[in-house]
Amino acid sequence: MLSIQDLTFRYRRGREELFDDLSYFFEPGKVTVVTGASGRGKSTLLYVLGLMLTPLRGTVTLDGQDVSAAPDAERSRIRAESIGFVFQDSVLDATRTILDSVIEPALYAGWKQGAAQEQGWELLDQMGVGHRADHKPGEISGGQAQRVAVCRSLVTDPAVVLADEPTGNLDQANAEGVLNALSAAAGLGEIARTVVIATHDPFVIEFADEVLAL
Amino acid sequence: MRLPNLLREAANTAWATKVPSALIVLLVAVMCAATLATVGRTAAAEAQLYERLDSAGARVLTVTEPSHDSYELINAATIGQTGALSSTERALGTITAIDVVNGEIGEGGERVPAWGIYGNLENVVTMEEGRWPQPGEALVSAEAMDRLNLDAPVGWVEQATSNPMEDWAIVGTFSPRDPFGDYTAGIVYPVSPDQPAATTLHVVLHDANHAGPAQSAVLQLLDPPATDHLTVQSPMSMAQLQDELTGDFTTFGRTLLLGVLAGGAFLVAIVVLADVLVRRKDLGRRRALGASRGVIVGLVLLRTMVPALLGAGAGVAGGLAMARSFEAQPPWEFTAGTAVLAVLAACVFAVIPAIYAATRDPVAVLRTP
Repeated sequence: MLSIQDLTFRYRRGREELFDDLSYFFEPGKVTVVTGASGRGKSTLLYVLGLMLTPLRGTVTLDGQDVSAAPDAERSRIRAESIGFVFQDSVLDATRTILDSVIEPALYAGWKQGAAQEQGWELLDQMGVGHRADHKPGEISGGQAQRVAVCRSLVTDPAVVLADEPTGNLDQANAEGVLNALSAAAGLGEIARTVVIATHDPFVIEFADEVLAL
Repeated sequence: MRLPNLLREAANTAWATKVPSALIVLLVAVMCAATLATVGRTAAAEAQLYERLDSAGARVLTVTEPSHDSYELINAATIGQTGALSSTERALGTITAIDVVNGEIGEGGERVPAWGIYGNLENVVTMEEGRWPQPGEALVSAEAMDRLNLDAPVGWVEQATSNPMEDWAIVGTFSPRDPFGDYTAGIVYPVSPDQPAATTLHVVLHDANHAGPAQSAVLQLLDPPATDHLTVQSPMSMAQLQDELTGDFTTFGRTLLLGVLAGGAFLVAIVVLADVLVRRKDLGRRRALGASRGVIVGLVLLRTMVPALLGAGAGVAGGLAMARSFEAQPPWEFTAGTAVLAVLAACVFAVIPAIYAATRDPVAVLRTP
């Protein structure tokens, strides 16, 4: 379970404080969409939730533990095991195959290569891109690439999936496919998963169970 | 991250980024080849010089007692005691060489030197043909046989005087052992037991560095009546020279080695830094997906080590080929050490760019187009 308490963030070189002691509980099994005008810190909130940025004040709690001030190695471990990321432009390794890209977080989480590949194949098949597993990212479409990114975010069966403008570069048909995949991800696996999507696209809100407006 | 996965990732990354990998291969190869061709040549020269300085000729302590004023100090007992010293390889006595001629020809025949050996003849020569001589018999060298007009090692020789006092039957041929190469010009014979003492004591030491203590021990054994009664030729200065040359070679080689390795490794570090800067988005993605700083450092170091190992192999092959053309093959320990040092230096110098890569802010990297 993911929540924030009295959260405020400020960039090291910035003066503006974001979130203003924000508290929120992200309900497992639901898709929470974070919206707001440009510059309000939608992506920044995702990176704070993803333990890549440290808040100025307040805490990020994951499964009852304050993880916002954990040492870097611990935060990396949590990211690898419990948090999946989907970036706006998929950010796949152009030199590796789709399957290699999907299993990357599992390898950082200490999985054996074989087990990670098995899980990767399963997810790619579920997302309808299994036939592209041996292709390079340059050989698939933007929509397929983003579905691959969703597979990557789910490969370790994380408790939390964070998606930063996942449909920003997609047409509506492809965006719908990716959002359906993320909605399904909320209920996929052994436990109900928390899915948080940062977006300014009103179309995405149609897929939201909860909306957090900044 | 498991080590096999980390190694696989590093190898894949090295293969995917071919230009920096090729540069690292080239730099490490040049480091190894240059080291083997320069420092290796020095090491080989040092080894050759050391071998020469360590030859038996450079390990001989010679003590001479004047025959006109002899106290018979160099006798069977003192030669035996000297031979029993721990620093002694061989010890023997000789008497002053005399000229001999072919007994059949007489005084007009060509003269060759004859050395009387006091002690075991096997310490001085290797018998090639015939048998070991008894008193009154001698071995002849191949060169002396020619000069004495002997067709075979048979016959006899006598002192080259009008009234020869002694003669020796030839019973075989010999070749001299190091450091008695001069004996190749003549004959050798065992000194008669009636002869009370030798004039010169030759002590071949195990190591020239033992010359000082060995000289003291031998002089104590001989116990001369006066300090200037005996003439001593010692290899002590040779040992000192050996030490100095070894020191000079070591200092020169070490400085050159450090220079080549540090220079090459510095260039490797620049290549790795450039690679890290170009791949900042890739490294940022890895951090965002859960790679710890340790994994990133390990990845960059192993990614450097893979082409460095290839470069070391190529450099060693090239360096040995160059060294062979200089006819100064470095010892294998030096060759292996050079390859290991070159790879280590490349990896050590890659630590700074690796740490730089690991401590970049992944958010800043990912959000920068």
